[in-house]
Amino acid sequence: MIQGAWLCLLAPLAGAFAITVMGDSIGRRTAGWIATLAVFAGFGGAVAALVGLLGHGEEEREYVSTAWTWLDTGSFQVGLNLVLDPLSATMMLIVTGVGGLIVLYSVGYMDGDDEERRYFAYMALFVFAMLLLVQGGNFLLLLAGWGLVGLASYLLIGFWHERPEAVAAAKKAFVMNAFGDATMALALFVLVWQTGSLAFAESFAGTEEMSSTALNLVALGLLGGAVAKSAQLPLHTWLPDAMEGPTPVSALIHAATMVTAGVYLICRAHPIFEAAPAIQDLAAGIGALTLVVAGLVALVQTDIKRVIAYSTMSQIGYMFLGAGLGAYGFAMFHLMTHAFFKALLFMAAGVVIHHLAGEQDIRQMGGLRRLMPFTFAAFLIGSLALVGIPPLSGFFSKDGILASALDAGAYGYLLFAAGLLGTLLTGLYTFRLFFVVWGGDPSPLVERHAGGGHGRQSERAASRAHGEPHGGEGPWTMLLPVGILAVLAVVGGWLQIPGVWHEFTHWLEPVAEPLVEPSLGQELLTSSLAVGFGLVGVAVAWLFYGARRREAPDARGVRDVLEHKFYFDELYDLAFYRPAVALSALWRRGIEEPLIGGSITGVTLGARRAGTLVGGAQTGYLRSYALAIGFGVVVLTVVFLAVR
Amino acid sequence: MLGPDPSWYLVVAAILFSIGAFGVLLRRSPLVVLLSIEIMLNGANLALIGFSRVHGDHDGQIFALCVMAVAAAEAVVGLGIIVAMSRRRLTLDVDQFRALRG
Repeated sequence: MIQGAWLCLLAPLAGAFAITVMGDSIGRRTAGWIATLAVFAGFGGAVAALVGLLGHGEEEREYVSTAWTWLDTGSFQVGLNLVLDPLSATMMLIVTGVGGLIVLYSVGYMDGDDEERRYFAYMALFVFAMLLLVQGGNFLLLLAGWGLVGLASYLLIGFWHERPEAVAAAKKAFVMNAFGDATMALALFVLVWQTGSLAFAESFAGTEEMSSTALNLVALGLLGGAVAKSAQLPLHTWLPDAMEGPTPVSALIHAATMVTAGVYLICRAHPIFEAAPAIQDLAAGIGALTLVVAGLVALVQTDIKRVIAYSTMSQIGYMFLGAGLGAYGFAMFHLMTHAFFKALLFMAAGVVIHHLAGEQDIRQMGGLRRLMPFTFAAFLIGSLALVGIPPLSGFFSKDGILASALDAGAYGYLLFAAGLLGTLLTGLYTFRLFFVVWGGDPSPLVERHAGGGHGRQSERAASRAHGEPHGGEGPWTMLLPVGILAVLAVVGGWLQIPGVWHEFTHWLEPVAEPLVEPSLGQELLTSSLAVGFGLVGVAVAWLFYGARRREAPDARGVRDVLEHKFYFDELYDLAFYRPAVALSALWRRGIEEPLIGGSITGVTLGARRAGTLVGGAQTGYLRSYALAIGFGVVVLTVVFLAVR
Repeated sequence: MLGPDPSWYLVVAAILFSIGAFGVLLRRSPLVVLLSIEIMLNGANLALIGFSRVHGDHDGQIFALCVMAVAAAEAVVGLGIIVAMSRRRLTLDVDQFRALRG
C-alpha cells in the first residue's frame, strides 16, 4: 500500500530523469511514450494505495511513511515523509489519472514540435512536483512541491520560448506565484516558531496553544499562497495569460491540477483555518467574489482558451467558497469533477485549435458541429457538466457546495446568492462559447479546413508546419483521452447523490470533518434553483448566440470594463510596476550614477591624471636618468655627511 | 712611505670620475659615452688602489682587478651594440632612443 504511494511519487520523476538523460538518443515520440508510461505507472501506484486504504477501517486510514530524516537541527526535525490518507489518495488519483490522459493527449498534440523531448520531460517533472505537493507529509515538503509546480508551470507556459507573449506570461505567472510562495513561507516560519514542528499532526496539535494573532497570521499566509496558486482575486491575473502555453499544459496545470492546489491546502490545513474563523470567512468571500468576477469577464472574452481559463477561475472560486465554509468534502468533490470536465473542455478545445491550424479566436469559428461530431459531443458534455445540468458530474458537486452555504448562517446566504449568480453566468458564458464555436453555418475559416487531409500545425504561426496529413478530427492519442474524460464527466458525479449515498464526503470525513452538513431539503432547494439559473443562462445564450433572434446587448461602458478584466492589469501596472520603475530610475539617477558609478570613474580618472603627471618625469633621455641618479647620490652623500 | 700622500691619489680619482660622469651626461655619441664610462671605472679603480695603500692590505687591488674584468666585458657588449647600430644605419645619437618616454 505505502509502496504504491512511493511508486506513485517516484515514477514520474524517473520518467523525467530518463528523458533528460537519454536526450537525443531517443525519438521524440519515444519521449512522449516514456512520459505517458511513467505517469500511468504512478496511477497504478495510486490505485494500489487506494485499494490498500479501502482494506483498512475508517479510522485507521492514515499512514505516514518516512524515508529518512531530511533536516535535523536540534529539536526541529523534518523527515522526507509521505502521508497517505483519503485526501492525499484522492489527489494522487486525480493527478496521475487525469495527468496520464493529458500526457497521452500531448503525444498527438505536440507531434512534430521541435522540442518535444523537453516538453515531455517538463510534463513528467510537473506531475512529480504535484504529487510531492499532495503527498508530502509535512509543510516543508508541501512547500517544496508548491515551489516545484510553480517552476514546472513557468517552464511549460514559456515552452514556446520564441514567442515574446509566452515568455512574458511565464514570467508573470512565476512572479505572482512567488508572491504566494513568500507569504506561505512566512506563515511556516511563524508555525515553526510557535509549534516547533512542520509535520501535519504535530503542528495541528500545537495550534491549540497559539495566540489568535499568530493563528490568524499563519492562516492568512497560507491563504495567500492558496490564492496565488489558485488564481483567485486579487492574484488571479496570471492565469488567463498562462493560456499562451500549449493546450495540454492548460488542461493539466491550469485546469485540472495545479490551480486546485489551493483548495487542497485549505482542506489539508483545515485545523489551522478552523482556529482562525475570520480568515476562513475571508477565503469563502474571496471564492464568491472570484466566481462572480471571473464569470462576468468570461462573457466578453474572444479567445477560446481564455474563456475556459476564466471559467476555471470561477469554478475554483466555488471550491474556495466550499472549503472556506468547511464543506471540505464537497470542495474536494468539485475539484475532482472539475478536473474531469474542465480537462475535457480544454482538450476538446485543443482538438479544435489543432484542426484549425492554431486559430484560437472564436469569432473566426462557427458551424464546426457537422465537421467534428465527436469533439462536438465531448464539448457538449463538458459544457453541460460545467453548467451543472443533471445527471452530469458538475451538478452534484457544485450543488453540494451551494447547499452547504445555505447551512452556514447569514454570511452563508450572501455566499449562496453569489453562487447562484455564478451559475447563471456559467450557463451564459459556457453556452455563448458553445453556440459561437459549434452552432450556425461554417465560417470561412472552418470551410477552408473542412477538407480533412490538410497539413497539421500546432498552435499559432510560431509553431512549425508539420508534413504528415491526417483525416478525421485528430489522431487517436488525442481522441481517446477526450472520450475517456467525457465518460468520466458524465459518471464522475455519481459517487455522491443527495439523499441516496454520500460516498465521497464520507470517504474524506476521517481527514477533514466538515463543519456544515446540508440537509436533504437544502440540497433539493439548491439543486432546483441552481439548475434553474443555469438553464436561464443557457436560454439567454441561445437567444443571443444560438438562434440569433436578437442582437446581444451592447452597453459600451460595461463592455469596456469587462474587456479590460475589471482593470486589474492596469491597476497593478499603476500601483506596482510604474512606482517600482520610477523608484529604480530615481535610485539610478540619484545614487547609482553619481555616487557608486561616480566614485569609480573618479578613482580611475584620478589614477590616470596622476600617471600622466608622473610620467612627464620619464623623458626617455638616458642622460637625464643618469643625471637624476648622480644628483640623488650627491644629495644622499650630503645628507649622510650632514647628519653625521 | 714612497711617493706622494694617498690623498692625492683620491683627488686624481675624483677628477677622473667627474670627467667621466660629465662625459656620460653631456655627450651624445654612444661611443664617447662608453669611453666616459671607462674613465669613470678607472677613476674608481684608482680610488680602490689608493685605499688599499692606506689600509696596507690587498683587498682594494683585488677589487680593482675585478672591476677591470667587468670593464672589459662591458666594453665588449657596449661596442657590440654600437657596431650593430651602425650596421643598421641608425643615427649614433643616444638622444634619438627615447622610446621609454613617459
